[in-house]
Amino acid sequence: MLDLKRRSRRTGLTPIALALPLALFILLCLSSSTFTSLENLANVNSQIAALLIASLGQAIVAISGGIDLSVGAVMGLTSAILVTVDPSLAVPLAYAMGIAVGLVNGLGVTFFNVHPLVMSLASMTFVQGLALLVNPVPGGVVPGYLRTLAVSEPLGLPAALFWSVGVILLAWYLLNRTRFGLRTYAVGANPASAQRNGVSAARHKVACYVLCSLAAVTAGIFLTARVGAGDATMGAAYSLDTVTAMALGGVQLAGGAGSVLGVVAGVLTLGLISNGMNLLGISPFLRAAVTGVLLLAAIGLQRREAIGA
Amino acid sequence: MTDFATSPSTTTGQRLRAAGSAVASLPFAYAATLILLIAAYFMRPALLSPMLLLLIARQAAPLGLAAIGQSLCMRVLSIDLSIGGVIVGVSYILTGGLLPFSDPVLMLIAIAFGVAVGLLNAFFITRLRASSVIVTLAVTLIITGVAVAFSQLRSPGDAPEMLRQVSRLKIGIVPVALLIWLAVLIPIAVFLRMSVFGRYIDAIGANPRAAWVSGIPYVRVVTVVHVMSSLFAVFSGFLLIGFVGVGSMDLGRDLALNSLAAVILGGVTFGSGKGGVLGPTVAALMLTFSFNLLTSLGLGEPAKLMLQGLIIGVAAAAYSIQRKT
Repeated sequence: MLDLKRRSRRTGLTPIALALPLALFILLCLSSSTFTSLENLANVNSQIAALLIASLGQAIVAISGGIDLSVGAVMGLTSAILVTVDPSLAVPLAYAMGIAVGLVNGLGVTFFNVHPLVMSLASMTFVQGLALLVNPVPGGVVPGYLRTLAVSEPLGLPAALFWSVGVILLAWYLLNRTRFGLRTYAVGANPASAQRNGVSAARHKVACYVLCSLAAVTAGIFLTARVGAGDATMGAAYSLDTVTAMALGGVQLAGGAGSVLGVVAGVLTLGLISNGMNLLGISPFLRAAVTGVLLLAAIGLQRREAIGA
Repeated sequence: MTDFATSPSTTTGQRLRAAGSAVASLPFAYAATLILLIAAYFMRPALLSPMLLLLIARQAAPLGLAAIGQSLCMRVLSIDLSIGGVIVGVSYILTGGLLPFSDPVLMLIAIAFGVAVGLLNAFFITRLRASSVIVTLAVTLIITGVAVAFSQLRSPGDAPEMLRQVSRLKIGIVPVALLIWLAVLIPIAVFLRMSVFGRYIDAIGANPRAAWVSGIPYVRVVTVVHVMSSLFAVFSGFLLIGFVGVGSMDLGRDLALNSLAAVILGGVTFGSGKGGVLGPTVAALMLTFSFNLLTSLGLGEPAKLMLQGLIIGVAAAAYSIQRKT
């Protein structure tokens, strides 16, 4: 019992976070006949795969005590790069860009001591501008092999399922089975004491920001390949959606607590809500409003010490 | 002999150094304005005609008003990114045609709406202690989502005649919008300098924990600041809607980030307890001027965004280095 309590403090998981997607699932099964069709479920999966990839990256930064609002812009720039650069160079270049953005965020936060929100807002704005400069109008041709990776159906299952399971396993392994994961929790819970125990908190945080940007690039690649065209602003909603998803899943924005399972639950909640609203014919603009309400609810329930930013 | 010769020179040296550090601690906006004006003189001298400068100042008025509110928020270690959302809300209230009231009543409703948004922000930030950036972004999502969803039902109407007049009228050659900006700015600056409330703001900004334990009405101050910020956003929205003439759901979308850039450039940073109203004001003028310069050089939206990002990032980093040393 005690062990369970200690665990829930580390994972930040609450029964509500896990019950929410289940309740939504049951509700949607009852209210819409098309919801349970295999086609729609595959659709939900491919709709949320990009969000899942980006949210897991966001969660790693959050557990280490930071936040990254540049996720959406990085996805947009990835998309812009994929359709403008030579196909053989596109993917390496996109990942190099991700590393660069992550380094800038991480160094700004650690060595220049800028508040993570301000720092990532700055890089978000810059990267979004750059993306629009690279690819001003949506369109272009996505390299064929990427298209295959995103929309093919190996073994009769949608490719998005393999992407999702892959990143979930990777993130789970990273956070729960490696030194890196342990250090991430330590740095997020108390950077000073982690430092005294021989973890270079600054260097570790920089690594977390780089990972988050790499996850955003991956999400951008998947989304671009799935849509089949480049769009510099395709990630616009993702910065806040990732924060909403992980906050719903019990990842503490103050750092030190969170779990892969929670992030998956949060992503499912958001995905089911938007799919459900789609099926029930509710205006897509209201979806943004609902995300806002969920975000307010999720972070309003997280207690923290400081008032302000 | 050497003593006589060196001692006055060291004092001038010290004085020079003191003056130098005083200049160095001035907001970046001042130096940046100077550089921009010089750059404009060589590249686009036409921008420097008094006529155009006054027009640019008029154009800067909404940003200037929003920046006052943003600067107050940042001085109490908070951030208000709901400015864009408030303006969209105001635009919808005034031009959406949903409410069957006369223009003055609609403007009062818009003001009440601003107060409500400010109170909502403040409730989440102070009572539930949620991150101000996330709260205000979420509020923006909600307002914009609802307003855009409803505005699909009918096309937006014209702006109230009064607001259009305000944006068009001039006294002599000075636009009325500019005068309104000044009429709001000066009393606020005096009030913040003379009042206890201004001291509270500085105390919270300098050391929140010390301010909390010494019994300063922390929650009340942050609440009032957020309500003020939303009210400034409403007034800024009034001016914008007057400029455009018709309602639009795209109004003020970049105002939240621009005001953040203006405030950081204007010398207000987290955790210093410093910062005035003049710095952000100069920065608002400077930013608007630089956007005009970029447009005149044929660079569009992407360059503007990149400049904004660079300004926010570099200025914030430079200030925190300055503070550390």
